[in-house]
Amino acid sequence: MRAIATGQAMPAGRLRLALALAAGKGSGAAVRLLNIGGGTSLPGAVARRIDPLVLKKVASASTIRKAMITGSNGKTTTCRMLAALAQNGGVSVAQNRSGSNLLHGVSTVAVRGADMRGRMDARLLLLEVDEATMRQAVAEVAPDMILVTNIFRDQLDRFGELYSMARMLDAAIETLPPHASVVLNADDPLVASFARHAAARRLYYGLRVADAGAEVPEHAADTIRCVRCLHALAYRRVYMSHLGDYECPGCGSRRPDLDIAVTEVGASPDGGTDATVETPGGIMRVHVPLPGLHNVYNTAAALAGAFALETLDPASAQSALVGLRPAFGRLEEIKADGRLVVLSFVKNPASYNATLRLVLQRPGPKHVLAAHSNTVVDGEDFAWLWDVDLEDLVPDLASLVVSGTRAEEVALRLKYAGADPEEMRVIPGREAALDAALSRVPPDEPLYILAGYTPMREFRRIMQRRGWVPPFWEE
Amino acid sequence: MEHAAPMTVRICHLYPKLFSVAGDRGNLRALISRCAWRGIRSTVTEADVGVVPDFTEADLVLLHGGQDTEMRVAARDLEAKAGPLREAIEGGAVVLAVCAGYQLLGKYYAPADAPPITGIGVLDAVTEGGSTRFIGHIAVASDVGPGGTHSLVGFENHSGRTCLGSGATPLGRVIAGSGNNGQDGTEGARYREVYATYLHGPVLPKNPWLTDHLISRALLHRYGHMGTPDSLACLADQTEAEAHAAALRLAGRPAEKWRAIVAAGKGMAWTSR
Repeated sequence: MRAIATGQAMPAGRLRLALALAAGKGSGAAVRLLNIGGGTSLPGAVARRIDPLVLKKVASASTIRKAMITGSNGKTTTCRMLAALAQNGGVSVAQNRSGSNLLHGVSTVAVRGADMRGRMDARLLLLEVDEATMRQAVAEVAPDMILVTNIFRDQLDRFGELYSMARMLDAAIETLPPHASVVLNADDPLVASFARHAAARRLYYGLRVADAGAEVPEHAADTIRCVRCLHALAYRRVYMSHLGDYECPGCGSRRPDLDIAVTEVGASPDGGTDATVETPGGIMRVHVPLPGLHNVYNTAAALAGAFALETLDPASAQSALVGLRPAFGRLEEIKADGRLVVLSFVKNPASYNATLRLVLQRPGPKHVLAAHSNTVVDGEDFAWLWDVDLEDLVPDLASLVVSGTRAEEVALRLKYAGADPEEMRVIPGREAALDAALSRVPPDEPLYILAGYTPMREFRRIMQRRGWVPPFWEE
Repeated sequence: MEHAAPMTVRICHLYPKLFSVAGDRGNLRALISRCAWRGIRSTVTEADVGVVPDFTEADLVLLHGGQDTEMRVAARDLEAKAGPLREAIEGGAVVLAVCAGYQLLGKYYAPADAPPITGIGVLDAVTEGGSTRFIGHIAVASDVGPGGTHSLVGFENHSGRTCLGSGATPLGRVIAGSGNNGQDGTEGARYREVYATYLHGPVLPKNPWLTDHLISRALLHRYGHMGTPDSLACLADQTEAEAHAAALRLAGRPAEKWRAIVAAGKGMAWTSR
């Protein structure tokens, strides 16, 4: 009798959840014990197999606040900044830190952080979510805040068209209830057009800097027509790609007023960036140890997100951001057996061009290892490589190795960018390519690795095996 | 044939800003590079929205692809360009048209969920929007150009289904992939010196034989039979050949495996529940 009563106290749904959580947690422990990698998505995958509602159940059982960051570029870095800001304000954070941003990766955070009844004790669940995964993730998690960084052309082969993906993302945002917030990059015309009918509170961030950027968009710009009337947009200022201060001569629509505005930007001697930011809570001066305008956008996004979540403390924000390290594979410097490797993750024209600019600012000849592979994550279509300004890199090249399962494609692109095919080595295997590239680098010069997500992870794993870098889940 | 002055190919690049979504400007780079490597000069005139170029001064016209939104803008603008462009085509000017550019040279493109877009009707082709997209590697056998059948490789990403009338001939036959409509095994269209295709990639760098054919025909347009060499100088094309072979392998992967890859990517991306 007693056993039956216990059974009634633990209905099937709860039992299934407990089983899913146990199995998920177990798989994560096994992965770490065996040191085989992949611990950022396997627990979620295993748990969802047993209970497909595991993420939804954990999200609704917990009193935790839930925030999602999505967009083409800057998700991982913005998440890290926002987490630092929240933690600095005394808020404990559970997050997917390694860029594992599809449903399995997102679910892994819930599996890791929940007790066996599906409750999380962190106060903020901070999720980086792939754009195309948002619809399902929003439905399951019911977030209190969604932040959209930008929409660049990214994996068109997976998303079909930019606009259909954008419409789907906007539809997910429109489902948010009135107590939730939407934080949007006002400088991105497509992103700024979101949430027009949303019940949620809207917050816009962007740049208002006179001496940064340019007056006309670069050619890789994606969305330079008015979202409403298709007229070509007029820019007062373009900060990067299609991000800037714009208005439409056709219908008069213009960039929304900024709630969080970066008004001054300067490079600091340590290679980082100083910025002045106007917020509703007052003017802040921040220093981030990361270079480039794209990191200014990430900073503005994180401050806006923290403000929306009411975890922004202007007095302590400064110290929170000072201690940031680059996310793995973002111009990450690695000491490699007496040499320096600078590892960069490049995935679309905008991120590649931003990275190239930073690489070219550094003095000295450029030893480069460039790699792309066709995978589910990286996509099949590498036509976008032809929109990257690799022509600017070629004059500075000291040595060049290309790698990955699409090495031939990368080699072809670099040949037409002006690289001498006789001097270029095509080595599809990652480990052999890394060794060949390193062997051509003199002791005091860096090797720049420019790679897609999967080969970047592979290079990192090889260097991790050699003891040059810590495993990424300890990041 | 000897020439006192170097020859020049005059390229007209239509909508370089509007249609710049799929790396297609690599086609321009391939044309310019392969001319330059042979000592042939090239000039490039860009004509975006609101500008009608002098098509009588163009030997080779590029009209690339864009998304439906941009395509609507181009269609409206093409009304002003259509007359002189048609005349240039009838006069033997070479045109490479890709994806949306291909559809705009046809009679119309009717998307599934929006009003139809009228093309300039140079090609006897009509395009209907489909509910699914053809996305993937594609290989085509084409009899275009000298030297028999060539393989043409690239990446297609389109929802339009194009059917050719009797006035246009296909650019080639699909070996692997979907092509014009996924049904009749044809890919692309030809009319006079118009070469229209769904292949991105971009198409020219990986298919140097097609690039060279376009250059030859453009020279012919400029200098006539008397002034044009019978064949272009050979180039060292090992990098191109390896990229071509790799693309051919990708297109020819077992269909099940390819479908599984797409399904895995899509499953995470699109499932509604």
